[in-house]
Amino acid sequence: MQAGRVWLRALAGALAVVMLAATLEIVLDGAVGHSPLIPKSPHIAAWLDGVGERLGFRVFLIALLAYVGAYACMLLLARRVSARFAIALTIALQLIVFAGPILLSTDVFSYIAYARMGVVHGINPYIHGPIAIASDPVYHDVGKDWKLVATAYGPLYTLISYPLAWLGVTGALWGMKLMALLAGAGTLALTWRCARLRQLDPKLALLVVGVNPLWVIYGLGGAHNDLIMTLLMMGAVSLTLARREAYAGAAVIAAALVKATGIVLLPFMLLSTRRLAPLLGAVVAGLACALVAFLVFGIHGVDVVAALNRDAAFVSTDSFPTEIAHLLGKPGVFPVDHDLLKAGLVLIVVHLLWRTWRGYDWVAASGWTLLAISVTSTWLLAWYTLWSLPLAAVSRDRRLLVATLSVQALFILHQLSPLLAPVS
Amino acid sequence: MSTPPTPLQTGLAGRMPEWARPREDERHGLGSLRLAETTILILVGLFLAVATIADVVKQTHVNHRLVADMRTWRTVTGHNYRSLGTEQDVKGHTTRDTVCGNVSPGGPRERTQVCLVLVGPVVSSRREVSGGYYLPAKSEDRRRSRYACFGSALQAGLCGLRTPPAGAPPSPALPTGRR
Repeated sequence: MQAGRVWLRALAGALAVVMLAATLEIVLDGAVGHSPLIPKSPHIAAWLDGVGERLGFRVFLIALLAYVGAYACMLLLARRVSARFAIALTIALQLIVFAGPILLSTDVFSYIAYARMGVVHGINPYIHGPIAIASDPVYHDVGKDWKLVATAYGPLYTLISYPLAWLGVTGALWGMKLMALLAGAGTLALTWRCARLRQLDPKLALLVVGVNPLWVIYGLGGAHNDLIMTLLMMGAVSLTLARREAYAGAAVIAAALVKATGIVLLPFMLLSTRRLAPLLGAVVAGLACALVAFLVFGIHGVDVVAALNRDAAFVSTDSFPTEIAHLLGKPGVFPVDHDLLKAGLVLIVVHLLWRTWRGYDWVAASGWTLLAISVTSTWLLAWYTLWSLPLAAVSRDRRLLVATLSVQALFILHQLSPLLAPVS
Repeated sequence: MSTPPTPLQTGLAGRMPEWARPREDERHGLGSLRLAETTILILVGLFLAVATIADVVKQTHVNHRLVADMRTWRTVTGHNYRSLGTEQDVKGHTTRDTVCGNVSPGGPRERTQVCLVLVGPVVSSRREVSGGYYLPAKSEDRRRSRYACFGSALQAGLCGLRTPPAGAPPSPALPTGRR
């Protein structure tokens, strides 16, 4: 018995070493720059130079696969490891990524560009794209697909990001990284708390989210604002569990004013609690934020529907609808497919609303809806698969966790073609 | 087994039929609904897995083709450059690709480029050159910038410039066919 425990502890230690080594490899090689996986940016990780080599697809994908394998095994061992071990591993992974360069996405430069548009140049980011500040130092680092696009993020997020514009591009970049780190840490703390309050294993919940490869490498690595949305979503869950329902309703609205998808939690919360308090909290918070957004950004700052409609038309090669279109011999997704996908999503949501009305776990229903949005969206990015993850970790329906992790696994599988047939 | 009524089953909720009443917790005995949901989830999951694997296989084939394209470009031009631009036929969805690279050493697009149009299957890690054209330095691959078309590019009228721009290096027609 004792020997078995020692072996399990050794195995968990080895898995942790694999995860840490894979993350270090990606970060140290990424710090060298000049890689298709590292966006062009100020050289913020110069202090890590000289240790790694230029990050190529092959090394990145092998490291990612090793990490994924170790993560899967770690979840199986989660009940056997100590809380101290789980927390230490989570902190170490977050800090390694925080110290390194921006990984895999140019989104953070769009965030900075929108903030600098408003603060430095006096241009409304809800009307103009970053092209309006083509002379600004951040402009050349904005992704080429986004230079003409006005912000689709909520006004609360835009206002939160405004103070960082005064720090210059490099300062703002570190500010964004710090914001993502703190939001991620807050999400993990609330995930732990919610799991404990729901009599689930908090260690498992922490490991599910905190050492998840997409969370660490893509979400935190890219300093994505999705982590702020998940923080506010988990805040809403935590407040509901603490019976502070008005604040919970306000927290959902705050999440939605960071990224509109956060609103998904509200109908399920209302149906489950069947009280006025969360609705009142949501209405008050919504009106207050809408007023501030209107005063700062004008009518465009509160017209979330227009931004959502615009973004819903985007198509990415990693999305499941695109893959299905290819499977069916079609070159891509057509407008009629968008309508079919929306109809499918509506059916799923109606079913979940009905199930919640009849006593199903509203946290799970919210998670299923977020997962369904990412699966039916024609624009799927790695960090969209993180939306449902913390909810899945504290859900009583374990099918949601299996489904979320399966979707993530398929996303990673879809990245592997450069490993199978490298182009050079 | 029936569950005791909750406060929600009084008032308006109490007047609803049992199947429509709101509940605090799920009723026991929902096994068949859960089974149906789980079955649908598994089927959807399998379908997504098949679509993903098929897409990876397809992309792997495309990558093999692009590798053959670049190898062919290097053989035909005699330049062993790494930075080559490839473009697939995303409109016609054929396997016709275009590979462009500099005619003399320099950064990507910093020099005059020669582009080859490649078609057909990969044989011995090469593809057939059906034609090509030249592009001035620092220009986008648009019809208005192309000149000195040869082979299928000439027949398809891909070039917008009738003569090479002033100061352009020699732009000979490169051999077409399988190399």
